[in-house]
Amino acid sequence: MSTVAMITARGLFGRRRALMLLPLPLLLIGLAAICRAYDLDPSQWGTAVITGLGFAVVLPVIALIVGTGVLGSEVDDGTLVHILTKPLARRDIILAKFVVAVVATAVTTSIPLFVAGLLAGSAKLGVALALAAVAGSFAYTAFFLMLSLLTRRPVLLGLVYILIWEGLLGRWVSGTRVLSIEQYVISIAAKLEPTTLLDPKVGVMTAVVMSVLFVVVCTVIAINRLGSFSLAGETS
Amino acid sequence: MSETGVIHDIGYQRYEGPRLGRAAAINALYVHGLRAAFGLGRSAKAKIFPWLVAGITVLVAVIIAAVKSQIPDFTFGYVDFDDNLSWLIIFFVAILAPALVSRDIRSGVLPLYFSRPLRAADYVIAKFLAMVTAVWLLLGVPQFIMFLGAAFTTKDGFSGVWDEVQDLAPGWAYSLLWALLFTSIGLLVASLTGKQAFAAGGIVAIFLMTAPVVGVLSVLPSSAANHMAGLASPMTLISGVGSWALGSQIGLDLGRYGPIYGIEAFCLIAASLLLLLARYRKVAAL
Repeated sequence: MSTVAMITARGLFGRRRALMLLPLPLLLIGLAAICRAYDLDPSQWGTAVITGLGFAVVLPVIALIVGTGVLGSEVDDGTLVHILTKPLARRDIILAKFVVAVVATAVTTSIPLFVAGLLAGSAKLGVALALAAVAGSFAYTAFFLMLSLLTRRPVLLGLVYILIWEGLLGRWVSGTRVLSIEQYVISIAAKLEPTTLLDPKVGVMTAVVMSVLFVVVCTVIAINRLGSFSLAGETS
Repeated sequence: MSETGVIHDIGYQRYEGPRLGRAAAINALYVHGLRAAFGLGRSAKAKIFPWLVAGITVLVAVIIAAVKSQIPDFTFGYVDFDDNLSWLIIFFVAILAPALVSRDIRSGVLPLYFSRPLRAADYVIAKFLAMVTAVWLLLGVPQFIMFLGAAFTTKDGFSGVWDEVQDLAPGWAYSLLWALLFTSIGLLVASLTGKQAFAAGGIVAIFLMTAPVVGVLSVLPSSAANHMAGLASPMTLISGVGSWALGSQIGLDLGRYGPIYGIEAFCLIAASLLLLLARYRKVAAL
């Protein structure tokens, strides 16, 4: 199992691929730093940077790249066969990959969000944002990992979820917010450190319960799907 | 057992028909690219996403045309249509650009293409034109539906129709600007990687992560920074060019920096195309 985790981590960070994860967090920190340097009031830029960029773009996009990358790229390359033929329970394979994906996402998103929170308010706000980002990493990566097993086009479906479900519908149609991880993350962060910068739209209980539900259900489905995974040819 | 070997003539022949040359190759790539954009000639799965997006845009246009014909005061111009559907355009570009160029890298057909009379510039131009056409059709057809709705319900006879035509023409030009800018950026990103998934994610990341930059720049305590905030993101850049060239209203105050928006849009498209050309100077033979 540790070998699977190691291979996955190397697939994610090996050679120059880790650099792909850098620009988004750096942009987040850079923007927060610029605003801070100009001595702007956080109420003017906090929402745009933390919610608009951090929770709406950086967290989901990085989770999408990592979550679909850990398994999806192996399905694409066909190297998944080598792991499947080893005497390992498929549950262990999923769990190992899930843990690596969560750690990678959590590290790359919580650090910039902590810095942004620190610059926008206090260290306490930073910690709250970072913890919320970690919770979000769990839910997002579980969801995207499941997508990469359910369909041959996980990134496109993931983009539909981020852009259309959370981005477009989540703004106007209140009913879709109950199934929007972005809203859970905002609620959790706002509960940990109430601030005017965050505008939670779902209750914190709903947020926590639904996040856990997302993680558990998606992981179970993923394990189930990998259990009956059959190798197919190239898609259209 | 025969003593002497015989070479049988099994009918191999040299090709002696006409050679079509570069122009035909460009045309073939263009047509193929345009068909692939909407999944024509491919499996049903490949048609889902493009037609989903196209269906939504047409639906929106039909709704707007219907509302417009009932409520005369409802002002929703052709230009507003593009601005409001920018998310869908991003999504469409993120599907399309990887399908056009990343697939070729992944399946290793580039060396085959370039062993033909086709040159790197031809390849880039064919793909670029195909994608510009596809994105423009995505926006132009719904705009035309809106035009039809307005033209058939107008009460001023031919002068009313002519007014609508004068509104539609800048709307189409504006759509073309969206298509040009988004295509050049999308193709450039997609040409860097053979993995469609990474390319799609990268394109969306670039468009999405620049939007908050505009929000931040527009609150900085400097009027020059506020006026030029829109330069930071392709979406607001296009809106800025639109409001400078066409006089449409956007939420951004350009001040006297309107021409800079036009210059940047032009430079961005030109630079992306030059970088694309540079990228295809040399292709890996797998």
